[in-house]
Amino acid sequence: MLDRRAGVPWLFVAPLVLVMVVGFVWPLLQVLVNSLHPNTPQGIDAAHWTLGNYARLADPFYGEVLVRTLRISVIVTAITGVLAYPVALFVSRLPPRAQSLFLLAYISPWLINTVVKALGWTLLLRTNGVVNTLLRGLDVIASPLKLLISETGVIIALVPGHFMFVLLPLWVALSGLDPALSWAAGTLGARPSAVFWRVLLPMTLPPFVAGLVINFIMNMTAFAIPMLLGGARNMVASMLAYQVNLVSLDWPLGGALAVALVAFTLTVVWAGQRGAVLLVSGRGARA
Amino acid sequence: MILVVNILMLIVVLAPVVIVMWMSFTPTATFVLPLTDFSLRWYREALSYPGFVDAFWLSFELAILAAVLTVTLSFLAAYGLVRYRPAGGGALKAFFTAPLLVSAVVFGIAMLQFVNRIGLYNQLSGLVLAHIVLVVPFAMRSLEVTLRAVPEELEWAAMILGRNRMGMLLRVTLPLCARGLVTAFLFCFLLSFSEVTTTIFMTGPGLQTLPVRIYNYMSDRIDPTVAAVSALVVLVSLALVAVLNLLGGLRRLTTQ
Repeated sequence: MLDRRAGVPWLFVAPLVLVMVVGFVWPLLQVLVNSLHPNTPQGIDAAHWTLGNYARLADPFYGEVLVRTLRISVIVTAITGVLAYPVALFVSRLPPRAQSLFLLAYISPWLINTVVKALGWTLLLRTNGVVNTLLRGLDVIASPLKLLISETGVIIALVPGHFMFVLLPLWVALSGLDPALSWAAGTLGARPSAVFWRVLLPMTLPPFVAGLVINFIMNMTAFAIPMLLGGARNMVASMLAYQVNLVSLDWPLGGALAVALVAFTLTVVWAGQRGAVLLVSGRGARA
Repeated sequence: MILVVNILMLIVVLAPVVIVMWMSFTPTATFVLPLTDFSLRWYREALSYPGFVDAFWLSFELAILAAVLTVTLSFLAAYGLVRYRPAGGGALKAFFTAPLLVSAVVFGIAMLQFVNRIGLYNQLSGLVLAHIVLVVPFAMRSLEVTLRAVPEELEWAAMILGRNRMGMLLRVTLPLCARGLVTAFLFCFLLSFSEVTTTIFMTGPGLQTLPVRIYNYMSDRIDPTVAAVSALVVLVSLALVAVLNLLGGLRRLTTQ
């Protein structure tokens, strides 16, 4: 009944493909090309080609920024992983109506813009903010903690900010599991911890890792939260990118930075998927 | 134990949003704890500050344009992919979700250099293009699910009864997809309305969306006016989330 002549489906798909090529592929290629030209006081020197911009990224100052970005991202992803599992487990065992309510509570803050949440965290973490006032009122601390303009503040704000990306895939995987599995393992004498390590975790590992990988990438390139809560003294990769591109206007160097970030991201995605596959097949082989 | 973790996490996730709402009602010029009196003074202040009002209308216009164009283009593309299953459809799907793999910062750098190159710097059209690319992955996913739920037999029936393809699309498929289209539109609108990272990289002082304006204001100073504006943003976002939830749109995020 449908007109399956070869050209017809392309009529439907072509407009979006065109927009994506112009608005997505072209800009990324443009950045790649710019990163291969030398920068001059007059602008980009398109007549010459160089790898010098990439060599400039080896500067120890950039290395320090990268290490700080990595440190913050790894800590946030680790905390998220440890917290997301019990939360997902809890939510997946609730009645359906309660499940939707809890998920809504976790998802909706993600749909509110980051700047507003950064403002909230500033009000909470300031020297005379809510957290310090509360802790001092309870006599937990004598003098206020320095939570703002520090890595601690950035970490505290990033964990809930990107929590959903681990929680959702994990929840989907857990609610797809047959509840009889845990019960069966229990009747066969497995303690709850053994049920978790030997049954639940191996069966939900691929979506769990996929969520952690996305979470890690989002942490690596978070912008507003590190900028507003960490300050220039705790510079991370995205702030560096902003400075190079919009303050020093050194686009070839900024382009090299963008390409390096993409390359790094794709490596993490690849390694994460590879690692999950190896872990699962390793367990399968032993079982 | 598991319940405690859950409650703590819920508090941490909701706390920044709640605190902004709460603090926006402070009657004083600084945030003094504990807050006992309530006042709408800073809402009046915020609504009479042209910087915020102009930025709101720009964000609104941008989000409407981006959402309408994205939903239109994505509906056509999803129709082509779902109904015809062309060779290479899998690769196309991957292509349409690729923006998720490129971080907003990298895309912002790319867009900055690109719009300058083609002369769209500080133009609304450049921002619309960027926002379309950013929300396409979400629209495609949602509309594919929608279209797969519409039985192809109904379209066949319409064509057997003498409708041509255009008539069938307009009179049968579109109405059947209405709920999915509205969901996708709201979702795109919400994402565009909240987008900050790519937009900050792309725009100069002449064209600041509301999130960018709030960001710049906050880098300078933090006062109850910015809390009031932020609280209004939260209200708009939550209202849209509520409608989305009623339409079952958030569920679509989680279906594989």
